[in-house]
Amino acid sequence: MTEPLGNFWTAVVNGEKKQLRIAQTTRLVDVLRTQLSLTGTKVSCEVGRCGACMVLMDGEPVNSCLVMAYQCVGSEITTIEGLHGEKEGELHPIQQAFVEEGGFQCGYCTPGMVISTKALLDRYPQPSQEQIETGLCGNLCRCTGYGGILRAVKKVIDEQDRMGST
Amino acid sequence: MLLNRESSGKRWHLRPDGVGKVTGKLQYLTDMTLPDMVHGRVLRSSYPYARILSIDITGAEAMEGVLAVLTSKDVPGLNLFGIATPDQPVFCEHVVRYVGDAIAAVAADSPERAAIALDAIRVEYEEWTPLDSPEAALAPGAPELHEHGPGNVLHRTEIKRGNVDEGFATCQHIVSETYYTPRQMHAYMETEGGLFVPDENGRLHVYAATQHGYKDRMQLARIIGCSEEDIRVVSSPIGGSFGGKDELNVQPYGALLALRSGRPVKMHNSRKESVRAGLKRHPMKIEMQTGISREGMIQAHRVRITADTGAYATLGAPVLNFCTEHCLGPYSIPHVDVEGVSVYTNNGVSGEFRGFGGNQAIFAMEGQMDRLAEIMDMDPWEFRRRNMRGKTDPGPLNQRILVTDGLSQVWEAMDRSELWQKHQHPPANPASPPWIKRGVGAAIAMHGAGLGYGIPDPAGGRLSLNAEGKIEVAFSYEEFGQGLIATLEMMLCDLFYCSTSDLSIVIGDTDRVPHSGSSTASRSTTMAWMALQRLQTPFRSKMLSVASALSGIPSDELVTGPGGIWLRGKSTESKAEKIAMSPVITEVVGERTSGSSESFNDTSDTVDNAALISGLVVSYVDLAKQGKSEEWIFDTQFEYPTTPDNVVGGHYLYTYAAVAAEVEVNTLTGEAKLLDTRHVVAAGPVINPMGFIGQIEGGSVMALGFTLTEDALMQDSRYMTTNLDTYLIPTIRDIHTNLEVEAIENLPEGDPFGPRGIGEIGSVALAPAITAAIHQATGVWVNRLPVPRDQLIKPLDVSLQKGVSST
Ligand code: FES
Ligand code: FES
Repeated sequence: MTEPLGNFWTAVVNGEKKQLRIAQTTRLVDVLRTQLSLTGTKVSCEVGRCGACMVLMDGEPVNSCLVMAYQCVGSEITTIEGLHGEKEGELHPIQQAFVEEGGFQCGYCTPGMVISTKALLDRYPQPSQEQIETGLCGNLCRCTGYGGILRAVKKVIDEQDRMGST
Repeated sequence: MLLNRESSGKRWHLRPDGVGKVTGKLQYLTDMTLPDMVHGRVLRSSYPYARILSIDITGAEAMEGVLAVLTSKDVPGLNLFGIATPDQPVFCEHVVRYVGDAIAAVAADSPERAAIALDAIRVEYEEWTPLDSPEAALAPGAPELHEHGPGNVLHRTEIKRGNVDEGFATCQHIVSETYYTPRQMHAYMETEGGLFVPDENGRLHVYAATQHGYKDRMQLARIIGCSEEDIRVVSSPIGGSFGGKDELNVQPYGALLALRSGRPVKMHNSRKESVRAGLKRHPMKIEMQTGISREGMIQAHRVRITADTGAYATLGAPVLNFCTEHCLGPYSIPHVDVEGVSVYTNNGVSGEFRGFGGNQAIFAMEGQMDRLAEIMDMDPWEFRRRNMRGKTDPGPLNQRILVTDGLSQVWEAMDRSELWQKHQHPPANPASPPWIKRGVGAAIAMHGAGLGYGIPDPAGGRLSLNAEGKIEVAFSYEEFGQGLIATLEMMLCDLFYCSTSDLSIVIGDTDRVPHSGSSTASRSTTMAWMALQRLQTPFRSKMLSVASALSGIPSDELVTGPGGIWLRGKSTESKAEKIAMSPVITEVVGERTSGSSESFNDTSDTVDNAALISGLVVSYVDLAKQGKSEEWIFDTQFEYPTTPDNVVGGHYLYTYAAVAAEVEVNTLTGEAKLLDTRHVVAAGPVINPMGFIGQIEGGSVMALGFTLTEDALMQDSRYMTTNLDTYLIPTIRDIHTNLEVEAIENLPEGDPFGPRGIGEIGSVALAPAITAAIHQATGVWVNRLPVPRDQLIKPLDVSLQKGVSST
C-alpha cells in the first residue's frame, strides 16, 4: 500500500535532492517509475535477473527491483535520465556509441544496458572481454543478440584509448 | 557481401528512434500514465482444467477504492477472441482450460488495492484432470476441450505425392528418427500492458502493443459491441514482440474496465503473469522416415507432426500449415506422405512465434539430411546439393513459386566459406583438455514469406505531402524493434533523394494510417517497398508538375531533392533518369555484379552533385501550400503476392539461408558452446544494413536459446519455469562472438517484389547446424531440443565404472 508511514524518504536522484512520503518498503523501481515519473528505468522480471531496471546507487550498479526505499535513504541514485555528455542535453559517449553501432532494437533493455556499461567502464576503463561479459551478463536483451551492444562497448573503449593516448 | 559497418559505407543509417531509446526518454505504451488513471488486474484460473461452480465478486466490489469488477456477464459483445479462430473467452463462464484463463478483472485506485480486490473474489471449482499432452488429448475417451471438435483436434494437414510405400521399397537406406522441440517463450523484455482511455465523446483510446492495430480494433469492437470507429488503437513503440503480442492479451480487460469505470486504466503484466497467460512456440513431435537410393537421391519421405497448441487455437492451424510445408525442406522428393495434427490440450497456449513452425520442421528435416549423408559416407553439403530442388521446380506443395537462384547461391557461398571448410578437417584445439571436443555443422533452408495462398493478406500504404511540407508516409505496420522506421526513412531517401528532415513517418495509430495489413511473416519491408513503388510515380509527377507551373521550368528538367524540387544538374542526368525506378533495385540488378559495396546506393553523392550544380526551385513547404491538401494524398491497396496455384498456405516468395556453426562440447559437463557462426542470407537488396545485421544476429541468438537452453517446462499443465531466473535465454556470456552475416542481394532481373523481409530467416536454421556440429564433435545424434546435456556427457570409462583401474 502506498499509505505514508509518516516519515520521509530522501535521496539524491540524478543530482537533485528528492523528498517523498512513501512506505519505506516500496521498491526503488516503483519510486522511480511511479513517484518520480522516471520511466527510463524499465521493469521486466522483477526478480533481479534481467537488468532492465538497473540504476547506479552511490556509483554501484543495482537492480532497482530488488532495492527497497529504506535501503537507499540518503543515497545518490543515477538513472538513465541522469546520464549525459559533457553538457546536459548531449549524449554520453556510451549512449552515442549505442546509437552508432545499433546496440539496441526495441530499446527496452537499453537503459539498463547503458547503465551497466557505465558501471563497467567506471570500474575498468579498459576491460578485458571477460570483464565485459561479467559486467553485462546481468542484463538480458532479446532483440540484438548482443552483437551491436558489444560493438558499442568496444567503440567506447577504443575511443577512450585514443583520447588517452593523444 | 559480408555485411558489416565497413562494407555498408554510407548506408549505415542511424535509427531515428535511437536517441529516445538510449536516453530513456522514449515512452513505451506501458510507461504512459494519466493523473486520474486507475489500475487493472486480471484474476486467472487456479487450475489448468476445471468447471467453475460459482464466482462471487461481492467482497471485491464492496472494497474501498475499487471502481469496477467484471466477469463474463459484463461483456457486452462477443465473449471470445482470437485472430483466426475466436475461441478464447475474454472471461470464462463455465469451464477453465489453462492456467492463464481469465475469470474476472478489477480496476482500483492503486495496484495494491487491485491485487487485494482480486484476492477477495471467491471462485469455486470442480477440478478435473488436465490433458497435459497431445497423446492424452487424443486418447480415446478423452474429454473434449472445445465443442467444435472432432475430438481435440484443432487442425490436420497432409501432403501426399507419389506412392511412399513403393518409394521406400526401392530405397537402399532409410533413416527413421523422432524429433522433439521445446515450448519456447518469446521473452520480449517489455511485458504486455498499456493504457486504456475513454474520452468525452465516447471513444476509447487503446495504447497497447500489437502487431496489427486494425485487427485489435476489429476484435475489441466485437467484444465491446461498438463500431470500429469508436476505438482508436495506438500500438507503437513496442518493447519486443517476435509474434507474441499479435493476439489480444490485456486489451479486452483494459478496454472493458475503462468503459465501466469511466477512467483511464493502466495494465501492465508482471513477468509471472506474462509467462502464465502468454503465447509460446508450439512444442512439436516430428517423426520422420526418409529413404534414399543407392546413389544418394531421396526417394521417399514420411512425416508425422504432432503440435501441442494448448487450450486455444490462436494461429495453431496456420503454424501447422507452415510446418507441414517446410518439413520437406528445399529438396526434390518424388514420394511424399506428410500428415500433421495440431491438438488442443490444457497446456499453455501456443501461437505465432518468429519462424512460425519453420524452426521445428527445418531442425527435423536437416537432421535427416545429416544422418543420411553419414550413412552414405558422403559430405553432408554435397549430399544436400544432390537433392536440392532445381531452380524452376515447383515449391514444397507442388505450387508455382517465384524463380530465383537463392538456394544455389546460399549453398555455394557456404561451400566456399572458411568456417564450413573446417568441417573437412575437424578442428581440434591442442590447448584444450581431451574432454573438450569440437565440431562444425551446417544447414540450409528456404522460408516462405507472407501469409500464403488463400489467407487474406492485404497491403497498402499512403504517401502524401503534408501541411508542414513533409513527405509523409503512413502504414499500419508497427515498430517493435526491428527498425521499420529507419528502413522506411531509407527507402524514401532512396526514392526522392531527399533528406531525413523532409520526412514524416506515421505508423501504429489506426486514426492516422491506412489499412496495410499486419507486421508479421517478414512482410512489412516488402509490402512497404511495393507500396512505394506504386505511389512514387504519381506522387513525384504531381510535385514536379506543380513546381513546373510555379517556376515556368519544364517538369522534365526538375528533380526531387533535399528540401524541395531542384533543377536537374547536367552531370547527374544519367543517375536522375533512374529515379523513376528504384535506385536500390536498379543498381543491384543492373550494375552490381562483383560484390563490391561502393557502387551501391551512394545516393547522397548524387544529391550532393545535384545540389552543387543546380539550384533549389521550390521547397516542399511552398509546394504543400498549393491546392487542397487532399490533392497531395496518394493511396494504394494491393495483396501480398501469392502463388497462382490453389494450395492453401502455399507461399510464392521465399528467402533462402545457409548457416554453419562451430561448437565446442565439454563431455564432462555436457555443455555445448557455440563458438563461431556464419549466416548466408539471400533476401534481395539490403535496404538497411544495420537493421539487417541486427535481425540476423538477434534471430540467431534466439535460435541459440531454442537449441541449448530454452524450454517453458510444464508439469500437469502448470508452468515450472515461471520467470527469467529459471527460463534461461542467452546472456552476453552465452553468445557466439564470431557471427558473420553474408547477404546475397541479387534478384531476378525486373523483379517486382523488391527486398524480402528477414525477420525470421536468421532464426530457422541454426538449430540443425549446431546439432550437426555436436554430432561431429561427440558422435551423438541429438533429436531433442533444447539439447539434453546428459546425452553429451561421455560415460565414464567402463572399467572404471566397474571399480577396476584401467592401468
Ligand atoms: S526488473 Fe529488475 S532485474 Fe529484471
Ligand atoms: S533491444 Fe529489445 S531487449 Fe534489447
